[in-house]
Formats: sequence, structure tokens, C-alpha cells
Amino acid sequence: MTDINVLVVDDDPNALDIVRTYLESKGYKVWTAKDGQEALAHMEQVRPAIVLLDVMMPGMDGWEVARIIKNHPTYGRTRVVMLTARSDFADKHEGLRSGADDYIVKPIQLHELGERIERNLKALEKTA
Amino acid sequence: MKIVAQIRDAALRELVGKVATELSAELFDAAEVLTPDAASHVSADLFIVETRTDTDVQRVRAQARRSGAALLLATSPDAQLANSAIADADDWIRLPTTEAELRMRMETARSRAAGMSHVRTAADAAELVRYEELLYDKLTGFPTLPVMIERARELLERRGELTVLYIHFVWYEKIEEIYGWQKLDDVLETTAQAVRHFYAEEHSPGENLMMVSHVADDDFILFTEVRSSPDAAEQRLRVISEKLEIFLRSTVETAHGDDIAALCGIYVGAATIFRNPKIRTERLLYRGIREGAQAARGAEDWERSRKVADLKSTIRDGAVFIEYHPIIVTATEEVYGFEALARGVRRELRSPEVLFEVAAEANMVWELSRLLRKRAVSGIMDELKDGQFLFLNIDPHDFDDPMFRNLDPDELGIPDPSRVVLEITERTAIKDYPRFQEYLKDFRAKGFKFAVDDAGSGYAGLGSIANLAPDYIKLDISLIANIDTNFLKQNLVETMVQFANGQGAMVIAEGVERPEEFETVKQIGVHFTQGFLFHRPRYAGHPAARKASHVLHSGNLPPAVEVGDS
Repeated sequence: MTDINVLVVDDDPNALDIVRTYLESKGYKVWTAKDGQEALAHMEQVRPAIVLLDVMMPGMDGWEVARIIKNHPTYGRTRVVMLTARSDFADKHEGLRSGADDYIVKPIQLHELGERIERNLKALEKTA
Repeated sequence: MKIVAQIRDAALRELVGKVATELSAELFDAAEVLTPDAASHVSADLFIVETRTDTDVQRVRAQARRSGAALLLATSPDAQLANSAIADADDWIRLPTTEAELRMRMETARSRAAGMSHVRTAADAAELVRYEELLYDKLTGFPTLPVMIERARELLERRGELTVLYIHFVWYEKIEEIYGWQKLDDVLETTAQAVRHFYAEEHSPGENLMMVSHVADDDFILFTEVRSSPDAAEQRLRVISEKLEIFLRSTVETAHGDDIAALCGIYVGAATIFRNPKIRTERLLYRGIREGAQAARGAEDWERSRKVADLKSTIRDGAVFIEYHPIIVTATEEVYGFEALARGVRRELRSPEVLFEVAAEANMVWELSRLLRKRAVSGIMDELKDGQFLFLNIDPHDFDDPMFRNLDPDELGIPDPSRVVLEITERTAIKDYPRFQEYLKDFRAKGFKFAVDDAGSGYAGLGSIANLAPDYIKLDISLIANIDTNFLKQNLVETMVQFANGQGAMVIAEGVERPEEFETVKQIGVHFTQGFLFHRPRYAGHPAARKASHVLHSGNLPPAVEVGDS
């Protein structure tokens, strides 16, 4: 078990379960939240290296949560990876504006997820 | 405030020292004031303790409580802090940290220890994060006005008078358009640091109590106290404002270069508030802030009119020169062409963006454009090697100018228009689409090529660009800055390159400043590259920079052709 905390935010419990199981098998410490509010509530305790953030959620949407995290004085360095169903030009621009660092198109391919996490951890080291 | 620190991490020690100085807090080493004895204590406001595997957090907490201090724990990234330890502290930090985080955690630790209970419910915790995002500025680490108003009120009531220094920060719209919003963020951060530095240097602790705050529209406010006789006070205020203004401007210039500094205006205005028992203190404070803001805006207006006057004489005397920025073939690092950038000889009109903004204000864009076109062409045409192109920027207003519309290439000194690329920004091209298509046809018939500038800035979709069928697509600079660590940008640029390849157009990445950015756009397959990496001595070590500067300084092509009187 590494000390790398990953926070996964998705309103779909099945998706959460699958992602959690996979990431735990890779040795990450996984925390989950079912919506934006719960995600923000976890930031204080978890201080994750990476947040995987579903775009379409009830309440605050993923872009809004990304913006709050990336603009926060303490959590601004967190890598934010969006989970999005569509990834057209406009959608990616929305992501850029919110400050997100990367995105994964749903349905999630697990090997792709692993690669994305790794490359974002590397980028985190580079920017530290 | 009294801080007791037990820290081994050098970076954290330095940060704590810095913040303590700025807060005029007394800082003590735990080893000097505390004995290992669990019962030892000292009167203090805050303990900052870096935890080690052998740290007995409960003992430290007991010592802090006996000392009447809040406890802030710092832990190294590899040492997982037990939940019980977190619960014992008022707040905690994972190293490495930043000044902004340290300040914020110090503040929360103190307010929690002062009786505000730990956040319990998830809803509260989420709200807290949202508020922190609003109350503290991430860039500057400054608290926002709502956080500070209470302290300012206390200060005014205690001292009877308070001085507001209002730092009005303005920038030309173009700075975001050209350099991207991250650049603007960088400049703001530099300015904020300079404000702190000025404050630490200029004011002996104890004499001037000062606080720094930051409001929504990127201005800063300092509350200070100017101690002197009433007659001398005004004089001294003026001196401080001027000194601060000069200091901030020169700091921004040193950190970001003339071009960026020219696009930012920093104006300082001052106002003094006196306690008046008949008026609510908050109202007095806000009134003082408004007065300071007005004074700062007055200074701005004055400078604007002076610039218009200067522009008129610049055009009359032809006091401009042209810089040619190389555009590099990404794969071979050979020079493909040059973008002509106009500069004013007068210092405050050096930046091309400022030149055009002032010209628009003075209604003299056509005159300016005609002068610059002539200079840009005559300065390089004879020197262009075979296969090299000249990229000329066209201002949207130019299309209204009959002299431009009916442009005669020969008269302008262009023997072969197919070697000239007209650059038009995406924003304009899309806005005036039908009219623009017409003009384009005429220019194409004469042989000119053309480029859509600032593409992919999110203003227009790819479809609109496709309809314009440009020969070149120049990517918006916001897509390039830090592209090596932002995968969303990499993906967007990939999309643009694929799109261009399908259209028979070629992509130019502007604003490449770092070797890492160059390597990334090269990997993605961006055809051409442009940026400081290739025409700044700063990166002389990079092979691409050497090649470009070799071409530039080979004697037959000077990097800047100065014409007109200076």
C-alpha cells in the first residue's frame, strides 16, 4: 500500500466500486465520494494527490468542483482528472477553463485509467 | 503574536520565518523555550511542530494547551499521519507547503483553538472548502476584504486613524489574448510578492501596522499607518505611493520583461481615514477604500491622455521600429519565416499591443497600420531567403481602410505576394464572417496567403475555422503554456493538428518558452513553432535557440531594424 491518496467522485455506486477495486489492486489508497459536496468535504482529511471527477453529477457539476479545487489556496496543486461521457471540442475547453489537468472518456477502460493516474503523478512530481 | 516552532525541514523553517516577519510575530525555537519535560510550557499563541516518527503528539498538544497556544502540525509526505494525531492538532499541513497554505493553516489553527469547534458534518466541511476558495486568493495568498474588514476596524478604533493604499492593477485586454490567462496570473502573483517585499523593507515593524488584502477585480489594498505631523502626512503619503508604484512596476518588468510590463498598469492611490464616533467604522473604511481607488484611477486617466499625445508624435515622426520573430520548422529547427512585430521607439509605446490600443483610442489605427506595413515590408523583403515567408499582422480596423482593401503589392514593395502571410485573429474572422470572406477572396486573388491567429481559444469551433480555409492555423497561446504537464491541452492541440492535416493547413504553435513545451509540441506533430525559446538569449543553451540566433545574427538579417528618430 502506497501513501498516494486518490479521491474518486461519481454518483454511480457501481462505477465507484469498480474504480476502487482496480485502483486498490494497483496499490493506491482510494477514497470515494458520491457528489461534489462530499468530495469537497473529503479534501481536508484526505489531501488527495489526484481527484477523479465525474462531470455529470446532481448538485454541483464536475466542472464547478474542479474549479473550486484548482483555485483553492491549499488544494490548488491537486491533479484533477475529469470523467466525461462526451469529449468534443467545447467540452474540453470547458475543462481547460475549470483548470482540470486531464480527462478520461466514459465508459472507463481500466488499463487507460491506470496510465492516466501514473502520468498525472509524474506531472505532479515535475511541477512540485 | 508569539509563535513557538519545532521544525527541522529547512524550507518550512524559512517559510515560517518569512510569514512571522510579515505578521510582525515573535518566533521562538521550541528547543530554547521548552524543556523535554512534559510539564514545561511557555506563553504563546501558536505552536508549529514538524512531526517525526518519535513525536509524541499528545504530549505536544498538552504543552500547547498549557501555553495557551493553537497547535499546527506539519508532516513529511512519506510519513502517514495517524488519524488520532490529526485529531489532536488544531490543523495540519503535509510538506512541502506554500506560503499561502501556511498562512491559511496558521489562521484556521488559531481560530479553531480559540473556540470555534472542529468542523463536524460533511456539509460543513464542504462549505468550508468553498468559503476558503472565496476568502483567500490562491495566487497571492492574500485574504480577501471580508476576512480583513474586522481587523481593519479594530485597528482604526485603536489608533484613531488609518491610511489606505489602493493599488489599482490594470492590464490591456491583449495580455490574456496573447499570453493567456496564466500569464496574467503570474504577473498578479509577482505584484503581490512585490507588495509584501515592499512592506517588509519599507516599514520598520512596530511603527507601521499594515495589512494586505485583495479584492475581486485584481486590485490590492494595504491598510497602514503613516505616523507624522498632519502637515507632513500628505507629503509622506505621496512619497510612499510613488515609491510603491515605481517598485512594483520595476519588479514586474524584471520578472516578466518589458513587453508584459508595458501591458500592465499599476497605479497607487492613498487616502487617510479618521475615526469618527458619529459614523459607523465599516462605512468609514469603505469610504476610505473608495477614495484610494479614485485617486489611483485619476493617475490612470492622466497617463492615458499622455499616451495619446505621445502616439500622435510617434506617427508624425515615424518613431517606430520592427522586430522580426522567427518561425521555426519544428522537425528540422530551420527558420521558415518571420512575423513582423511593430514597436514604438518611445518607451511607454514599445509594445505593439499598447500602440494599437492607444491608436484605437485616438482614432488613428489606419495611419498607424499604414506606417507599420510599410516599415515591416521594407525592413526585410530584400533579406528574405528563398522559401522564407513574411507574416504580417492585420488589425480588424484595417479592413475598413480603403488603402488597405485596394492594396497594391508593388507599391508596398512586395514583388511576390505568395511569400506574404496575412495574420487575422480568430475572433475578428468569425465575427465579420461574410464581409471577411469577400476581402479574403480579393487578397487571395492577388496571391497572398493567410493565417488564422489565436485559433482554439474556445471562441469559435473548428467548423468556423474550416470555412475560412486558412493556409496556416496559429494556436492560441493559452494552449501552449505548460502543455508538457497538462494533458487536456495536449489533447486539444492533437485535435487541432489532425484537423489541420485534414484541411491541408499547417499549424503554428506560438509562445513556446520552455524546452519541455517544445519537445511536447514536436511529439504531437505541430508543424511550426514560434516563441521566446527561439529569440531570447535566456535559452541560449538549447540547440534550437542556437540555430535560430545564428540565422538572426549572421549579418545579413539584423534582429531589429530601427528606423525613424529616437
